[in-house]
Amino acid sequence: MTHRFVFVAAAALMLSGLAAADKKTGVATSKVARAADGHPDLSGTWAYAIDLPPVALKQQVNGSVAIKTIDQSARQPAKKPVPGALPYTPAPSYKPEFQAKVKNLSDNESKLDEVFYCGKPGVPRIGTPRRIIQLPGEMVFLYEDISGDPYRIIPTDGRAHRAGANPSYYGDSVGHWEGNTLVVDVTNFVEGSWFGEEGYFHTDAMRVTERLWRDGENLVWQATVDDPKVLTAPWTMSPRVVKPSDDPLEESPRCVEDDGNRLLNSDHHQQR
Amino acid sequence: MRFKIPGILIVFTVLFAPGSAWAHHSPSAIFDMNKKFTLTGTLTQVDWINPHIVVAMEAKKDDGSVETWKFESNPPSWFRRVGVARDNFAKAIGQTVTVEGVRAKNGVLYGYLLKITFPDGNSLELVFPSEPKAP
Repeated sequence: MTHRFVFVAAAALMLSGLAAADKKTGVATSKVARAADGHPDLSGTWAYAIDLPPVALKQQVNGSVAIKTIDQSARQPAKKPVPGALPYTPAPSYKPEFQAKVKNLSDNESKLDEVFYCGKPGVPRIGTPRRIIQLPGEMVFLYEDISGDPYRIIPTDGRAHRAGANPSYYGDSVGHWEGNTLVVDVTNFVEGSWFGEEGYFHTDAMRVTERLWRDGENLVWQATVDDPKVLTAPWTMSPRVVKPSDDPLEESPRCVEDDGNRLLNSDHHQQR
Repeated sequence: MRFKIPGILIVFTVLFAPGSAWAHHSPSAIFDMNKKFTLTGTLTQVDWINPHIVVAMEAKKDDGSVETWKFESNPPSWFRRVGVARDNFAKAIGQTVTVEGVRAKNGVLYGYLLKITFPDGNSLELVFPSEPKAP
């Protein structure tokens, strides 16, 4: 009798646990805010996620001094395991015949990377959106970037990729929900962009899969890049956890790269 | 005296150290990071542009002639996120300011702005995470 009670109680606990978790990702669902159509609510303004100098400001005003710092957590790989994240590796694996090209591009980034000269970073290099507007059957991603302020309109109503669209830096996107995760499939890229500052070039065959979900109040974003012409396998990047923000979007100032002619060597570091 | 050389600016390397999360170019490719200098002159222009803001000033040399200097500094989005807008600089256009920075290696009148002090004594200064404490 006692054994039967314990079994029933344990089963009930397991079932309630299953009911409160997304079967596919294991992400807890009970606290996920939901849109009117029942899907998780990803809408909102999210923290600025472009790399900035890791420097504080010392501001002196009328004799009093204030130190102001910035939060760059949205741009950095998550520091602890993120529920629902896919396994990831630090770098893509290029086929042997392309590895020298990647190194050469990386070594000469400050001369060859369009982003260095105010070019568009494209997907996935731009990272997480600053604002998401979630509509029935459609998501709108708004960005603030040094190169300008792009937008993406991502159908989630089941339609296929556009036929005959011109290739672009941000590609052609369609989305669908897998449990509590928005999965965005992006294709049709121009070949000039890199998907990472370390010389990660790609071909017209590149396909990017972005996954976005909520982890409590935060947004999580993780991207997978596949390009079978140059990579040995799809590359999944580390997830990024983005905090909600009350910092409104603002038009980015024009970009005028004027340092190229002053460079005396090829040293460079991450930008985005 | 137009220039003061207060000493080696070790901390500037921190801003663009290898592994740093930012720096679209390494400043060692442009600036002489070992020497900081101070320049006083009239602020003439503030360009609130990416990837670096640029301010211009006119400074008198010892012989009375005027040089036009330009200084770039952190990106506008950094200044915005520490609560500084273009107007914090631009309100001093036409007035005397003092800039501390490092100079371009190629000898042109160009530098990286690390601190600016306005006529009212208020100032803005980049502070580095591992700046050594004064003895």
